Amino acid sequence: MDYHQLLRDSLTRLPTVAATIDSIRKAVQDRGEVVILYFNFDRYSKVEEVYGWEKLDSVLETTGEAMREFLSKSPLASSKLMVSFPNDDDFVFFHVPQDDTPAATDAEITEITAGLKEAVSSEIERVHGEDIAALFDIFVGRSLVIYNPKLRLERQIYRGMREAANASKSLEHREQAKKVADLRETLRNRGLYIEYHPIVITDSQKVFGYEALARGNLRSMRSPEVMFEIAAQSDLIWDLSRLCRERAIEGMSKLLKDGELLFMNVDPADFADPSFDVKELNVKDPTRVVIEITERTAIKDYPKFRGRLKEFRDKGFRFAVDDAGSGYAGLGSIANLEPDFIKLDMSLINCIDQNFIKQNLVETMVRFANEHGAMVIAEGVERKEEYEMVKSLGVHLVQGFFVHRPSTSGVSYRPPIHPAPAVSG
Amino acid sequence: MADSSHPPILVVDDNPDNAHIIRDYLEARGYPITVAYNGDDALKAFEEVKPALVLLDVMMPGRDGWQVCREIKQHPTLGRNVRVVMVTALDDWVNKRQALQTGADDFVEKPFELPRLAATVERNVKLVAPNAGTGAPASPATPGTRTR
Repeated sequence: MDYHQLLRDSLTRLPTVAATIDSIRKAVQDRGEVVILYFNFDRYSKVEEVYGWEKLDSVLETTGEAMREFLSKSPLASSKLMVSFPNDDDFVFFHVPQDDTPAATDAEITEITAGLKEAVSSEIERVHGEDIAALFDIFVGRSLVIYNPKLRLERQIYRGMREAANASKSLEHREQAKKVADLRETLRNRGLYIEYHPIVITDSQKVFGYEALARGNLRSMRSPEVMFEIAAQSDLIWDLSRLCRERAIEGMSKLLKDGELLFMNVDPADFADPSFDVKELNVKDPTRVVIEITERTAIKDYPKFRGRLKEFRDKGFRFAVDDAGSGYAGLGSIANLEPDFIKLDMSLINCIDQNFIKQNLVETMVRFANEHGAMVIAEGVERKEEYEMVKSLGVHLVQGFFVHRPSTSGVSYRPPIHPAPAVSG
Repeated sequence: MADSSHPPILVVDDNPDNAHIIRDYLEARGYPITVAYNGDDALKAFEEVKPALVLLDVMMPGRDGWQVCREIKQHPTLGRNVRVVMVTALDDWVNKRQALQTGADDFVEKPFELPRLAATVERNVKLVAPNAGTGAPASPATPGTRTR
């Protein structure tokens, strides 16, 4: 690899520490001190896990751009020594104040952080959508390095960076404790609502059903990913799942028109909850409910699990395998669950128009589904090209921002930005 | 000289006979071709030539095709401007899923028929970014970013 490429991160177009150390050294010697800010992007690892590394690359590009834009207008604008590590997802900012200006205080940093968080988060939402924006969180740690000629300056700077990184970590932990309290409050007050995301018939774009998505009333609990992550850490997952199910079913009678189905996420772990049974669900017509089970969570005991599914199936409930194709399990494990619906993992749909392997995989899945009497759902369809491609591959149902966004009242029909040609039948 | 419909292609195969058949066939169709016979040389050639497309054999001694594909696709400056076609039979779901994880864009089964190979090359070249093959940075509006 070209040596110079290591000095500048290609995604964020920020220089790396190695490339800036000389100018930092000079500035610190002149001024006598430097404030180091460490930007820790909580959950970018989650973005990568769910959407893949290409997506995070693209999110980091947006992040770098938005941060540069925001900081250039902030009180820290005079010292633009922001650096990154090649392809890492945390950034460092060196703030050497101008002469006669005191270094930014903790209070100022907190204020700047809040503004920065808002600015970056809204840019991420604009470019990448609200699901990814909901995962965005940023913790900024601060440290102060005072120039000491007895010590080697680089080492002082590296220590300062570690100190700032640790400070950002402890902020993150404090925030975590607050979130557990928020989750407990949510459970106590039944403080969550449901957004219903339409699933449409590919050809006609007519609504086929809705997926129920839980959102906490509290701002910190808006993202279901975050809620469930906190619930898993604090052993509250059954309680949260129960509340989500109740809420989803409550809204069902008002929302569903004739023949429309409700798709509801259930974690395989929920089947171990003794209170989760057909009675608890309290549904008038179980044939209208599709239970989505994610392929992401490993199912340990297949025979037992299938036994549990049968109880529900016998009452008329239907099943969907969610995130199908996300793992390496192949088609065998999908066949094992005998699903009525197969919901393709979003990573297979993202840019499917440009990747022939994805097209081939989806084609295989459609064939498999047709042979097994199941229907395939393409989730995460965001662009016209993706819609046209899954349509041409024979995918039965489509869900995604290209056709509809989720809403609390179900669907107010929103024609696509580029309407697809009308299809009869 | 490469024009945008015939950008430079890197062919990687440890079997010189295979590599030369592909080279001759594609050169006759107007593509400038560079050949590498192992993974390490492939990465060096990739940085020098900055091809728009890499035809990559999977079974090679040393760094295999998967490893090379991953390194090419994650290359900090060139990775986003290149399409990688794996030359191998991806016969089942798991294989294809792995290919996707390494960042591959397409595959052509081995043993291949040359017209089929050419068709695969063409459909990928059509999707190559206009500035690919020049080493220029990718446009910030990468696929996958939502425009609303």
